[in-house]
Amino acid sequence: MTVSQPIYRIENLVHRYNSDPVLAVDRLDIEPASIMGLVGPNGSGKSTLLKLMAFIFRPTQGRILFDGKSALPFDSSVRFLVTLLTQDPYLMKRTVFKNIAYGLKVRGNRENWTRPVHDALAMVGLDPDIFAHRQWDQLSGGEAQRVALAARLVLKPRVLLLDEPTASVDAASSELIRAASLRARSEWGTTLVIASHDREWLYDVCDEVIHLFKGTPTGAGRSNMVFGPWVPEENGLYSKLIGDGIRFTVSAPPNADATAFIDPAVIRILNSGEASTAENITFVDGTVIRIASEKQSGNLFADVRAGSLTLVVRVDESHLAAMTLHRGWPVTLAYRPDSIRWL
Amino acid sequence: MHKKKQMAVKVCLIVVLTLMMAIPAMTADNVLMMATTTSTDNTGLLDDLAPHFTQATGVELKWTSVGTGKALKMGENCDVDVLLVHAPSAEKTYVEKGFGVNRREIMYNDFVIIGPESDPAGIKGKKVVDALDAVRAKGAVFVSRGDNSGTHKKELSLWKATGAAVPEKETWYVQTGQGMLASINIAAERNGYSMTDRGTYIKYADTMSGNPPLKVLVEQDNILLNQYSVLSINPERCTKAKFDLATTFSDWLAGTEAQGLIRDFKLLGKPLFVPNAIK
Amino acid sequence: MDFILAGFIEAIRLLFSGDDQTWSAVGATLKASSGSMAASLTIGVPLGFALGYFQFPAKRQLRLLVDTALALPTVFIGLVVYAFISNRGPLGEMGLLFTLTGIAIGQTILALPVVIALSATAVESMDRHLRALLISLGASRRQLLFSSLWEVRYGVLAAGLTAYGRVMTEVGISMMVGGNIKWHTRTITTAIALETGKGMFSTGIALGLVLIAIAFGVNVCLSFLRKK
Repeated sequence: MTVSQPIYRIENLVHRYNSDPVLAVDRLDIEPASIMGLVGPNGSGKSTLLKLMAFIFRPTQGRILFDGKSALPFDSSVRFLVTLLTQDPYLMKRTVFKNIAYGLKVRGNRENWTRPVHDALAMVGLDPDIFAHRQWDQLSGGEAQRVALAARLVLKPRVLLLDEPTASVDAASSELIRAASLRARSEWGTTLVIASHDREWLYDVCDEVIHLFKGTPTGAGRSNMVFGPWVPEENGLYSKLIGDGIRFTVSAPPNADATAFIDPAVIRILNSGEASTAENITFVDGTVIRIASEKQSGNLFADVRAGSLTLVVRVDESHLAAMTLHRGWPVTLAYRPDSIRWL
Repeated sequence: MHKKKQMAVKVCLIVVLTLMMAIPAMTADNVLMMATTTSTDNTGLLDDLAPHFTQATGVELKWTSVGTGKALKMGENCDVDVLLVHAPSAEKTYVEKGFGVNRREIMYNDFVIIGPESDPAGIKGKKVVDALDAVRAKGAVFVSRGDNSGTHKKELSLWKATGAAVPEKETWYVQTGQGMLASINIAAERNGYSMTDRGTYIKYADTMSGNPPLKVLVEQDNILLNQYSVLSINPERCTKAKFDLATTFSDWLAGTEAQGLIRDFKLLGKPLFVPNAIK
Repeated sequence: MDFILAGFIEAIRLLFSGDDQTWSAVGATLKASSGSMAASLTIGVPLGFALGYFQFPAKRQLRLLVDTALALPTVFIGLVVYAFISNRGPLGEMGLLFTLTGIAIGQTILALPVVIALSATAVESMDRHLRALLISLGASRRQLLFSSLWEVRYGVLAAGLTAYGRVMTEVGISMMVGGNIKWHTRTITTAIALETGKGMFSTGIALGLVLIAIAFGVNVCLSFLRKK
């Protein structure tokens, strides 16, 4: 077979906590050895989706196929293949060595664990001689999270699920965690699914980024999300103060608290000297904070800070030379309020 | 590090096991189980008598010392073989009901009425009945055990002897519900009167280095005598009761040796019991 | 109050002169409490774990019952056990009255609610991430159960120590069921009660100090089971 089978296929998945629906995914495929990113605000269902994919609990409805076969928690087809790293560093009340060796132990692996445990520690930048025999409570937060990652890496998993792995650690640990996760893919072909608030990192490393919003995927690739509440303007438009006295103007929302989506492609950066008044077009002043190219498409994007918002804007490459886009450069953005999609 | 830990655990285990071995071995056969009142145990009389009894008869004496009411109840429940108690009228009813047999008087000690040296009700040297009338008339604090013990029953009988009701609800009549010594201490704190067995008073006086705040004010009245009797548990009701051993004990207590031991027994240098068994 | 100082001196003398009566009481205390602790831990820890770990109907009511049982007065337990094992009682044939076994049974009833309630609490307060962690590392259902139990070992140890404290210091059950029989069922606490009744306050205090010394020894031993 030339067409590779997806390692995950999610079908008609619905999950509820106490009858409140928190997740509804009609269909989602993940290719083996790929890196998928998950973005979305807090409470969007990212953690739930990852836990379901880690087979920690059963979905309320629907099924998750792993390697083409429907799987449930504790199934032998998934138990030793998938592992999840959560946001808060959490270790068992044992030494670092025993924490890392636990997965080997439950796999009935009777070999000497010293070598693999030390390798895993080295992979996350911890000196085995210093750390292997420390107790769980003799570690800093960043060290604990790295030990937790080492406990996953030692298993050479087929799938490594990462739920905000760097959200509560220091910058140095964060860097080491990112590097070690990517190494798992390059060394063992591990499939990575990463939920993170750091969109830029995800866009840099992921083959695909999925947006989750209120439990449903709202599309792939880059997109801007602006939350309500919205207040009406005189001209039938609505707006929200986004700080620094700047108003973000939109078309009439379905309700005052609706969330607006704006495709990066519909926002344009004005050329210098271009007039900032026109019919049916809204203008917003901001500052360029980053220029990046998307891994898959090669498209260029600019992150523009306007008030407290960061908007992603697609940059036409042909215009790049003509424009002087630098970090910290003031720009004016233009978009049509009616090009906004509502959720 | 690990070795040290294991050593420590081992040492602890050994210590615990050694302590558990230190208990004297139990001898199960030829054991007579007795329920008695706290006063006989607290004075140390039984500790004095028991080895002699075992030597003379080869029977081991085990006893539990509880209030008279509970001792009688234990006999009724067939939990003991023999009783040594001091509540004559209750004992007689007990025998009438068929719970106990062979009631035999062994010895007596006496009760005394104690009070502060200042003696606010002026009872010193009076007869019991007159003394209690004076306490009642004065409304002086009087501490009662109020625990249905033999001593409490004795005290109630004294109040009845005055011809008036027991001052159950009077504010000056303090019922402690505690043991004799605790009650004496309460009486001392309240500067009040109380009735106690002489043995406990001797102990109390001793702990006060010979100068107790409460003194003996009324004594040597016939009504204050405290008769101890031994009763066997009715073998017809309690088939497992060791009636023959109980009889052996009763006979021995009434015998010359035990009666002599009782006479010679001294608490802190003072004689306490007067043997009066009829052979 | 010079009997407090006298008590200190007496305590040292009792312990080091090998006083037979004291060591007999120490032995009786240790025997009864070891028996009751072994029984209450064997029964109580699995029950407490089940109560804290699993969801089932009437769980809350059961929990309420156990928590209420924490308040059982020792004299009441003593009375009930006495009623059962008295020769006239339903279990009279077994000859448990006035034995250390009888005391141990009563103390087991005293310790069980403590062990169950505290280990259930320890399990309930188990980090919610633990389950996800263990499953995610590949634990089977059985391994999940045992690893979880191992994770709450300090909580269970604390439950055991608390129960041990109650058992060592209770006097109602020992007195009522054991009968405070010299050389047999006289425990340290009943001996204290007796000595106090006899007016031997300093001996009572000495015995109290002996009890504290034993409790200290037990805690020192168990502290090796704790981390570090």
